[in-house]
Formats: sequence, C-alpha cells, structure tokens
Amino acid sequence: MTRTLLQWLGAAFVLGLLGAAGFALAVVKDRVRIVVQADAAPAGPEPLALLRDDVATLGQDLAQLRREQGANLQQLGEALEQRAAARHADVDALRREVAGLRQQLAVQAEGLQQVDRQLAGLAAMPVPAAAPAAGGHPPVTAPEPPAPPPVEPPVEPPVEPVVATAPAGEVAAAAKPKGFLSFTLPPSTFAFDREQRYVLVPDLCRVGFDAKSTLHDFSGVTSQVSGQFTADFDDPAGAWRGEVACAAATLVTGVDGRDTNLREHLDTTNHPQIRFVIEGFAPAAGGIDVARQTAKGEVSGKMTIRGVTRDLRLPIAIEVDASRRVVVNGQVPLKLSDYGVPVPSQLGLISMQDEVVVWLTLRARVQAGEAK
Amino acid sequence: MSRGAVALAAAAVAVGLSGCIASNVVATQDRMVTAAVAELAFAPAPGLRPEGLYESVEITGDAAVSLRKVYYLFLGDGTYTAAALVDDAHGGAFQILTGTWASGPEGLVLDGAEAVPLEQAPRHLRLSAPNGTVVLRQGELR
Repeated sequence: MTRTLLQWLGAAFVLGLLGAAGFALAVVKDRVRIVVQADAAPAGPEPLALLRDDVATLGQDLAQLRREQGANLQQLGEALEQRAAARHADVDALRREVAGLRQQLAVQAEGLQQVDRQLAGLAAMPVPAAAPAAGGHPPVTAPEPPAPPPVEPPVEPPVEPVVATAPAGEVAAAAKPKGFLSFTLPPSTFAFDREQRYVLVPDLCRVGFDAKSTLHDFSGVTSQVSGQFTADFDDPAGAWRGEVACAAATLVTGVDGRDTNLREHLDTTNHPQIRFVIEGFAPAAGGIDVARQTAKGEVSGKMTIRGVTRDLRLPIAIEVDASRRVVVNGQVPLKLSDYGVPVPSQLGLISMQDEVVVWLTLRARVQAGEAK
Repeated sequence: MSRGAVALAAAAVAVGLSGCIASNVVATQDRMVTAAVAELAFAPAPGLRPEGLYESVEITGDAAVSLRKVYYLFLGDGTYTAAALVDDAHGGAFQILTGTWASGPEGLVLDGAEAVPLEQAPRHLRLSAPNGTVVLRQGELR
C-alpha cells in the first residue's frame, strides 16, 4: 500500500513539474529574445595609436626628404654659381676682345685716314708733262707720278684733324667714332662756324670792375656767374642771344667795409643780380677767323644794374681753348650814374670816380647734346 | 680855422695817404680763372703702376667735346673698371668699362691696345691719346 501510495505521489509530482514548466513557458515566451552573436574580435592596438605611428613615420620621411633635398639644392646652387662665374669670365673675355677689336678698328681708321691724306697729297701734286727720260720706266697713261716722292717719315696729324681746307672725304673720315682710352665717343669736333648753344662753366668765369678813387684804384670781382648764349661765330647776322648774370652781393674788393658800402650802393637786397642780355654781335673788320677759331667784335645788348636797364655795346674777343671751350674776354667803361648807382664819397674829398670799367672773362662749353 | 683850411688839410692828408695805400686792381692778364692743373709739373712715368681710384680734372683735345668726366679704378691684379660721362642727345650718359691694364716703357696699355704715354705729377696722372689728353687726380675709397 505504501508502495502504491509512493507511486501515485511520484506520478503526481511529475505531472506537477510538467504543469509548472508549461505555465512558466506560457508566461515568458514573449519576453525572451534569443540573439545569436559571433565570437568577439581578438583584442588589438588602438586605431589612434596606429594613426599616430603613421604620422610619426611620415614626419621622419619628410625630414629625411628635406635633408636630401637641402643637399641637392646646395649642389644645384653651387653648380649654378660655377656656371655663372664661368659665364662672367666668358663675358669679360669677350668684352676685352671687343675692346681690343675696337682699338684695332680705331688704329685701322687712323691708318686709312693717313692713306687718304697721302693720296690727297699725291693727287694735288702737279703732273709732269712727260715721263722722265731716265729711269727706265715706260711711259704710262694713268695720271700716276713718274716716281713716288721720297718717303717722308709719317707725320702725325694735328690735334684738330678737321681742317677748314681739308677735302670733304677727309672730314668725313675724321668724323668717324674713335676709341679714347678704351671708351667709345660719339663723332664730334668743335664747330666754330655753326649755331650752337653754350653754357657758362661757373667755376671758370669771372666778372668784375676796375674803379678809381681819390686814394687808390681797386677792383671788385665775383665768380658767381651764370648764363648761356646761342651763337654762330661765323654768322654775325645769325641768332646771337643769351644772358650773363652775376650775383651783385658777391662782388668783393678786398676791403670788408668797402664791400659793405658797395652792396648798399648797388642795393643788392632789392636788385640781387647784375644782368647783361645779349641781342646781337657786330664783328670787327676781319675780326672772324674760322680756321684759327677766333673772333673779335662788339656784343650788343641790355645791361641791368640796380634795376636800371641801358643799351650797351661790349667789345669782346673770342677764342677756343684746348678743352674745346669758348673763351670770351671783354670790357667796357660805363658810368655808375647812368644806372642810378650813387657814387661813393667820404666827406666830399675821398670819392670814387663815376666811370668804372666793367670786364668779364667767361668760359662756356657747348651744351650737352648739341655737339655733332 | 676856416672851412677852406679844413678842406685843404683833408686834401693834403688824402694825397699823403694815397701814396701809402697800394693799388688793388686786378691786372688784365690775371682776370682769367686759372685751373690748378696748369701749375702741375708732369714727368714721364714709364712702368708706373697706377693702382687706385682716379677722376678726371681736365680733358683736352677733340675728346673734350663730348667727354665730360672720367673715372678709373686700377686694381693690383691688372684689371680696371672705368666710367665716362659722355654727351648724347639726352644730355649725357655713363659708359662703363672693365678690362685689363699693363704698364710698360711706352706707357699705359689698356686692354692690350697701343700704349698711351703716361705722365705723373703729385697725386695726378696724365694720359695722352691721339684725340685728347686727360688729367686724372687720385681719389680715395672710403
């Protein structure tokens, strides 16, 4: 009986378990989700670390590249410098060669001029009526001299190669450019007989006056001279115009007190300049010598002193110096009273004469760009 | 003392003083400005080595028509550089040269050309070419 009871109890327990299981399944079947998941990836280095490593590697590569590029650039620079130096040397050599050739050309031009002169001299020689009997030369029809003149030692051409009587061809040859101490100068000679504009060379000009006084004679002088003029020394009727001016206050006589009085009498504060305006030129008889480049005559114009202007004819002499500058010397007497200048006097006893001699010595050169 | 006597005395003093005060008139031949170069005594200087800087102070001859100023710098290695202010249609332009120089018994040889006579005065040189002469004054490089 006990056994049967136990069997019934066992069966009831099993049935109870099955019922509880079914109930539990019914309760939780909608609340459980089954997820099928793959195995987790094996653990590795962080991506940021990897990126950092990559950046570091790239930086190292760049630094190495920079080092290598720097060396390359340095080599390239040195090579370029060497090449430039070589080119410079070539250019210098070429320049020297050109200078030498230029000099040779100048020498050859000089030789050609000499030959031209000799030919011109031969052509100018009188041709004999018949060939000389002696000498054994057959008569020739060409106008060749029967015997060449004795060979003279080469005569150096004059410093001024352009002579007024020279043939035109010779003038043209002389006008060719010449080398001067390796420089190439434009073909230019001083033209005395052509209208040109001249500019005074201030350092080489001087204007003054000579005065007489009761006590002694004295001069007033200044080098503060400026001006310009246009002239054709061979053509008095041509355009002669220009101006010469000096700073009145710079006239000095060698005595300070007298200089002060002079400035007062000339009223240099209100009339700072003494000016001569050139209006024309009248040559003296036979006063122009183109070959010698000299001229004498009278320059006419208007002189202004102390604000008073008067017509004036100033006798002058013109020549050309070795530096191809025009030298003008002139002087003229004039009365101070004509220009309103009070004649200095002390106590009415020590006085200056009314008449003074105004003089000028000027040097002027052809204005740049006018020489041909 | 009468007025006439005073005037007479003053005139006498003036006449007396006129004998004491020398004339101060510029002589006609001294009116012209003279260049200092004219007073230099040049002597031939064959073989002179003109090393240094020079500037022209006088140019004569036909070259002077268009040549205004010249500068030379002669170096010890036999080279030189030079500049010249030359007139042109625009008023002037510098020409610049480089080349070689040598000094011999005939004078100064520039760029292998014919020698030009070389003369010397204190701190000055004179070079004479066929178409002109130039006087150079020694300068200083500062």
